[in-house]
Amino acid sequence: MVYDGILLSLLIGLLRGGNFKGIAHINLRGGWLFPILLGIEICIFMLQNKIDIIGQASNVLFLLIYVVGLIFLWMNRHQPGFLVIFAGVFLNFIVMAVNGGRMPVSIEAAQTLGREYVEILKAGIYGKHEAIHASTVLPFLGDIIPLSPPYPRRQVISIGDVVMNVGAFLFVQHLMVNGQNNPSSHQTAHEGR
Amino acid sequence: MFVKVDLKSHEKIYTLFISILGISLIVIKDHFHTQSLEDWVLIYMLAGSITLLNFFLINLPPKDNSFSMDSSVYLATLFLYGTDLALKVLLLCSIVELFYRRKMSLWRHLFNFSMYCLMILGAYYSFLLFNGKIGAINTYNLWPYMISLVVYFSINVTLMFLFFFFSGQIFKGTFDMGVLLESTVSYFVTLLLSLVLTILLNEQRFFGLFLFTVLVTLLSFVFRKFLQLYQSVAERANRDDLTGLYNHGFFKETLKEHFADVKKLPQSFCLALLDLDDFKKYNDCNGHLRGDELLKFFGDLLQAETKEKNYIVARYGGEEFAILMPNTTKEAAFLFLDRLRKKVNDTYFIGVEYVPYRCLSFSCGIAEYEKGMYDSGELIHKADQAMYYAKAQGKNNVQIYDEENICWSQIEFKEDLEDMEQLLRIFLSKDVYTYRHSKRVFTYALEFSERLDLTDHEKQTLILGALIHDIGKIEVPRDILNKKGKLEPHEWEIIQKHVIWGKEILASNRRFEDVLPLVELHHERYDGKGYPYGLKGEEIPKLARILCIIDSFDAMTTERPYQPTKTFEEAVAELRACAGTQFDPYYAQQFIQFIETQYMPRLERTNR
Repeated sequence: MVYDGILLSLLIGLLRGGNFKGIAHINLRGGWLFPILLGIEICIFMLQNKIDIIGQASNVLFLLIYVVGLIFLWMNRHQPGFLVIFAGVFLNFIVMAVNGGRMPVSIEAAQTLGREYVEILKAGIYGKHEAIHASTVLPFLGDIIPLSPPYPRRQVISIGDVVMNVGAFLFVQHLMVNGQNNPSSHQTAHEGR
Repeated sequence: MFVKVDLKSHEKIYTLFISILGISLIVIKDHFHTQSLEDWVLIYMLAGSITLLNFFLINLPPKDNSFSMDSSVYLATLFLYGTDLALKVLLLCSIVELFYRRKMSLWRHLFNFSMYCLMILGAYYSFLLFNGKIGAINTYNLWPYMISLVVYFSINVTLMFLFFFFSGQIFKGTFDMGVLLESTVSYFVTLLLSLVLTILLNEQRFFGLFLFTVLVTLLSFVFRKFLQLYQSVAERANRDDLTGLYNHGFFKETLKEHFADVKKLPQSFCLALLDLDDFKKYNDCNGHLRGDELLKFFGDLLQAETKEKNYIVARYGGEEFAILMPNTTKEAAFLFLDRLRKKVNDTYFIGVEYVPYRCLSFSCGIAEYEKGMYDSGELIHKADQAMYYAKAQGKNNVQIYDEENICWSQIEFKEDLEDMEQLLRIFLSKDVYTYRHSKRVFTYALEFSERLDLTDHEKQTLILGALIHDIGKIEVPRDILNKKGKLEPHEWEIIQKHVIWGKEILASNRRFEDVLPLVELHHERYDGKGYPYGLKGEEIPKLARILCIIDSFDAMTTERPYQPTKTFEEAVAELRACAGTQFDPYYAQQFIQFIETQYMPRLERTNR
């Protein structure tokens, strides 16, 4: 889901006369953390249904990943948009933390994804998700927003995801349009008319 | 938290009151947990859309007006889903706002939030009161929608007004009718858009909201572009290309505005005209490109020197510059400009070796605004005269306008007088009454001015003005001029126009500029009931007030086709009766004395 926002941002950035030079000059603190976190998460996804210990501990592991991610975002909070990303991730973190490390998913919303998915969800854990039930805390922070046509992909997301995307969007816009204040960006704006 | 913000106590209490009211209302009204998850999705979407719309305001040129579409979303939500949802949307938006505008103080956020709360609830209950039904729009009865909009904005305006009232920021002109009228239009737009959005939301929900938001956002982009274009063009239109200073047109306009302001609240301001000395010679010796550079250099210098003051600097003409100095007396202006002159003398610029002074220099004339000046042209004219006087004094100096110094020589005065006589002679064939009247008024003015405490220049102006004051009657048809009996209203209008026509005839000749106020304003009355402008008391220039008395006196005492003649005694009695209403009491008294001593004895002798 995060990639959708970045893709859209790249497109709009180009339309606004930005370029990719700024992206080449990203300077983040602890940037190496990001791919490692992603790698660990994928490992857990693949292994949690095969190795029992990882399956049992997966919720704690997810939360730990989130904590590290939040620290990383906080370290870079001076970058435009990063506080927004932080807020989004934090919202997701909260709802997962209070629900035992699982992201609650709305059954109604999940129906847009197809019947199989609903079945799996009702049966138990899928990735880091679980179905919303009566005892779920803060259900409105869970995955309740269904995306369906005309949006090109079918997905269920949470408000945290949306906020996160807004942050990513702002960051990419900043990189592409304000990244460097050379006259070439003005030039393109003129030619666009 | 509240104590940290430095507020006046009224304002604090008011803000606190509104905030508590709003928050307690939301606590009573809101059922936080009963919202279904689907509703939550809708709330997120609406809040997102409002946040976006708040960010992309629609800017309206020419002033920095802008309006947000958030109200139409709130109203649409209200019409379709009721308060529960609307208040939650508001809550979410306020939280986003709280983080987004961290610089704004907390109490302001609270106040805003509570105000919207009250607006939404007020709109909701008035909507219900007038039989509005929550849900799809009932096109057969649009009244509830209109009324809830009116309530919504009335609460807004009232609360804001009270806020400004308590914080003491109210001053005259904040709430003038124009602003109210303009905002009425935007309120109406808001209502229409809220109805559109209600229909869209009801039909297509998310996609409808998406369409609406995208449309408004794009509109906002377009308007923003327009505003930028407008501002850059406006800026360019007001600037002189070469020097970057304001240009002639803008300066004149500003001066005119300043003139209107200064008439309302008394404060002094000065106008200075600067003319580079021997610029033509510089151009001849160094070429016009260099000349342009010199102008640019001088413009930059002026701008740098006046940066700290609130002066308005403009390139008035070729090598003429003008400075408008608000809140400055002529003495202060003189000090400033003389210091500037010395600095300019000490500043080297390539090629100045060839001009006579061997340094950069300018001549400058200063004129200060005085009560009784009747338009900005007079001030410019005076500064101009002072500048020419400075040139005549050998250049490279600063002069304050002073009647004593700047005066027609006797020869010039005679020439002017002869020119005016020529003009007047046209009346010999057309309207001999006016010709004779002008001649007599001229004689009175000649004699009367000797007894008055006037400068030479003022005396000469009065005499010239007396001779020529009715020149505008050339344009009035003969049959109106000589009509016996009462004039029709339209004929009276034509007669009244002769002062304007007279001014226009004389305005073509620069030499007569001083006389213009007399010609234009000699029918103004001291009590403000005269024409053409209805000026009052001291607003009328002194000389015009004097001329009015002489003119009226002669009109009363000579035979005209349309009125019986008065004797001198009767006319004097009339002057006395009207002193203070039609005439300036001081000069009326002076004139009566003059007539009684100079003319009455003479008359008595002839009567005997």
